[in-house]
Amino acid sequence: CSEYQKVLKNEEIAPKFKMGEALYNEGKYAKANKLFAQIVPNYRGKPQAEKLMYLYSNTFYKTKDYYVAGYQFERFASSYPKSEKVEEAAFLSAKSYYMLSPVYSKDQKETVEALEKLQAFINLYPESQYSTEANTLVQELDYKLEKKAFEIAKQYNKIAYTSTELEAAIKSFDNFIFDFPGSSLREDALFYRLDSAYKLALNSVEYKKQNRLKTAKEYYQAFIEKYPNSKHIETINNMVLVMDEALKNYSTKS
Amino acid sequence: QDLPYSDGKKYTLGSVSVSGNTTFSEQTIVTYSGLRKGKQMTIPGEDISNAIKKLWSSKLFSDIEIFITKIEGDVAHLEIRLSDLPQLNELKINGIKKGKKEAVINDAGLKKGTKVTENLITNTKNFLTKKYKKEGFYNTKILINTIDVKDSIETARVNMVVNIDKGEKVKVKDIVFNGNAVLSDKKLRKAMKSTKKINRLRILKRSKFVDSAYQEDLSKIIDKYKENGYRDARILSDSLIVNNDNKTVSLHINVNEGEQYTFGDITFIGNTVYSNEFLSRYLRIKKGDTYNGVLLQERIADNTKPDAIDITNLYQNSGYLFSTINPVEVNADDNVIDMEIRISEGKPAYFNKVSVVGNDKTNDHVIYRMLRTRPGQLYSKENVVRSVRELGQLGFFDAQEISPNFNNPNPNEGTIDMEYSVKETGSSQIELQGGYGGGGFIGTLGLSFNNFSIKDIFKKDAYKPIPMGDGQKLALRLQASRFYQTYSFSFSEPWLGGKKPVQFSTSLSHTRQFAYNPLTRNADKSQNFNITGISVGLAKRLTVPDDYFTLSQAVSFQRYDLNNYNISSLFTFGDGYANNFSYTVGLSRNNTRIDPIYPTGGSSFSATAKLSLPYSLFDGVDYKALKEDREQAIIDQDATKLGEIDQERYKWLEFYKINFKADWYTEIVKDLVLKPSVEFGFLGAYNNDRGVIPFERFFVGGDGLGSYSLDGRESIALRGYPNQSLSNQDGGTIYNKFSLELRYPITLKASAKIFALGFIEGGASYNSFRDYNPFSIKRSAGLGVRIFMPAFGLLGIDFGHGFDPLPGETVKNGWETHFIIGQQF
Repeated sequence: CSEYQKVLKNEEIAPKFKMGEALYNEGKYAKANKLFAQIVPNYRGKPQAEKLMYLYSNTFYKTKDYYVAGYQFERFASSYPKSEKVEEAAFLSAKSYYMLSPVYSKDQKETVEALEKLQAFINLYPESQYSTEANTLVQELDYKLEKKAFEIAKQYNKIAYTSTELEAAIKSFDNFIFDFPGSSLREDALFYRLDSAYKLALNSVEYKKQNRLKTAKEYYQAFIEKYPNSKHIETINNMVLVMDEALKNYSTKS
Repeated sequence: QDLPYSDGKKYTLGSVSVSGNTTFSEQTIVTYSGLRKGKQMTIPGEDISNAIKKLWSSKLFSDIEIFITKIEGDVAHLEIRLSDLPQLNELKINGIKKGKKEAVINDAGLKKGTKVTENLITNTKNFLTKKYKKEGFYNTKILINTIDVKDSIETARVNMVVNIDKGEKVKVKDIVFNGNAVLSDKKLRKAMKSTKKINRLRILKRSKFVDSAYQEDLSKIIDKYKENGYRDARILSDSLIVNNDNKTVSLHINVNEGEQYTFGDITFIGNTVYSNEFLSRYLRIKKGDTYNGVLLQERIADNTKPDAIDITNLYQNSGYLFSTINPVEVNADDNVIDMEIRISEGKPAYFNKVSVVGNDKTNDHVIYRMLRTRPGQLYSKENVVRSVRELGQLGFFDAQEISPNFNNPNPNEGTIDMEYSVKETGSSQIELQGGYGGGGFIGTLGLSFNNFSIKDIFKKDAYKPIPMGDGQKLALRLQASRFYQTYSFSFSEPWLGGKKPVQFSTSLSHTRQFAYNPLTRNADKSQNFNITGISVGLAKRLTVPDDYFTLSQAVSFQRYDLNNYNISSLFTFGDGYANNFSYTVGLSRNNTRIDPIYPTGGSSFSATAKLSLPYSLFDGVDYKALKEDREQAIIDQDATKLGEIDQERYKWLEFYKINFKADWYTEIVKDLVLKPSVEFGFLGAYNNDRGVIPFERFFVGGDGLGSYSLDGRESIALRGYPNQSLSNQDGGTIYNKFSLELRYPITLKASAKIFALGFIEGGASYNSFRDYNPFSIKRSAGLGVRIFMPAFGLLGIDFGHGFDPLPGETVKNGWETHFIIGQQF
């Protein structure tokens, strides 16, 4: 360790680079990062800078400082567009942003940002060895946004106390279905939209009931056509029986 | 040597030399001037003048000249002569206070090293004259001198002396109006808000003359006329006369009042949702009323208050976000103005998407369930305002920074997206203290997390640094010294099961107290007194009578356990136990807004009843006989017998207790809040023979902080008196308190909220209902300050003056200082 301290305090830059590289190879990224940070300004514009900046960026990535890693890799990619590492750096930059994306139930600013970066990477290097992974990450982030919208809509269904929440659920699921056409949650979304419409219709005042029952039936049709073998099939078949029963009143009256 | 431009000849530039008083190197100056050696140029011509311009623009030199020194064939040699501008060395300012000098130096740009030019001196002079005029010093004189510094350093430098003579403030001696017949001089003078004539009796408003304020006041006079129907009123001329004493001015204002106008027919056009009749009633302006443009504008759209009763809000609150309302004058014959109020209602707007951004810690479901604006719902301004208020009250976000944003308005479809932008704020508090007291070291560790997430406690990556975001409250507290230990834990979840706003809360606590051993001066662990308590409660938000109401219920159990502990004043027995099993039901209403730390409006009240089971009805004990036995035992001084009887009485504590509390908040003027409050409490017994228990009693006086108490006592704050001094040793069974507090904020930033307060209050406790007299109270008044910082909670200090004597004394109590921690008065 004392050797490290000596180099750290030393004025000369060459030993720092050398030792930093050695530490990096040993996997001691935090220490390497400290050394690199001292010499980055000295090497600016010199031929060794390319390698140094790559290693330096990677120490941030390895020490999970993803904010800085994302930025440093981005800078590397724009400063050394001819480097053989540029593709990897561009990918790691985008992946750093991916790492910052929080759980779906919190603000998704970082998720949106990561999606943009990853998409930019895929567009730039469509043949890249990383593109498979990049696509997986994009899917994962896309799913996060879907999940968020889905859970918010579902909560309206869950907390339904008055018609307001059920209407909110229907509206939100409508938006969800429109916004995420290929979502894996689509089946559930259609189901909960039907469920909300069903509850809304049955608890309606008389003069609104018929129309709402009809809407719910439409949602039922939309669901059954798309997912005839759904796991929800039993539940919705029960719903439709109840609704048909309720609708009978109106057909006999009119 | 003046040469006409057109006579310019072409030369090649030979050498360029530099002369004059400069510290810059020759090369620098030549390079900067752009006169490259070997350059082809016309002399005289643009190149020379450009070089001079360039040197000037550097703002480093004065007296710049360029000469031809020699001409050899077509080669010209030039010389640049210039001198450096002097730098400001020392600055001396006379005539103003030391503290104000810094500001003058910054504002006038008089830092050390600044190049001193004539321009700078003139600017400084004008700037200062103007500045003091603005403050009312009309006779300000500014004198600026510069003195060259001569020393070994070659740089030209000067010292500057600025003499400021502010003179006396100019005051307004008299304001004279001409041409006013309808409005009296007095009324017009009153309309002038900041320009007042000298009056020794008026202490809040200055009478100095400030021109900008005066100009504003002139337009206020016109406004005043307009309010009274004189919409043609104007100021013909105004003159300012400096009086002979040079200290005062007189103002002469000539007005032309014009004629008075009245409202004629007011018709509404374009309204389909509301009838003409309804709208005219809403407008509250009738035909024949004095014309008042200001009032009309206010009734249509009052921009000063967001929740004003005006026609714009009428439409906004019923979904017509895209509505616009324009009053138009259609006829002004005979001084009667016919108005047409043109309404374009637009489509009613429905919320399409409702979203929240900025919640880095709090989970979506905690926020969305609070919002009163839901997708698919009709737009209502009222609901937006209320959502913002309720988000603020959660305490997870900075209440001052919650903003509702409207996105993607679509007037054709009638939809709007709503986005609430929030900013998380620290909502956890840590308390760690240690100190000497009560004969030994006392250590306290308290943790309280206000936005906890219990479902994440086993998730490793949720620890940043603690699992947060589900809106749950979790508090832990440990306190220990040689003589006692307390452990407590509490947890609450605002939406039990996530379906309904039913708050679940639970708490556990355990206290151990040891007797003091006078021989070893240590705790005697064989003599101890333990209290274990548990409580579980549910609180539900109601919808009837309105949705600010909450109904809460709780069941709690406490066990008191004594082991050879003969020194308690509460118990007449040393070995034994008591159980306190009770049910609490409470109804409360709270619509205080917006900031929970500094509410500026609304009210809160709560009524609670705490009941035990009526054991004496069914346990078959003859309490009447027991009471007689007890009285006998007291006469006989038979401690053992007394202990046995009390053990029987306290086996299960039997009581009922009623509390009532109400606070109101009113904003008197901007941010100044008046808070009256009332409190009342009563503790009774079902069976008078069994008697009122010595637990659960009221102790009035002091800061009201829950001092360490074993017997479920309630400390009632009453500033201006020592803690718990206004009740007798056993505590009162009935109390009431009234207080009036005036608060003013010093800062309401998220990092620290500080407000000052003044209060008058009065209260007292009574031993029984027979003694109760709500007006026989102890009174006090005082001042204080509160500081709220997210990491520390609320801290404060109050100075209270008690006007009445303590029980058993005859002189008034006088001043008391109270420190407030964590509790809201």
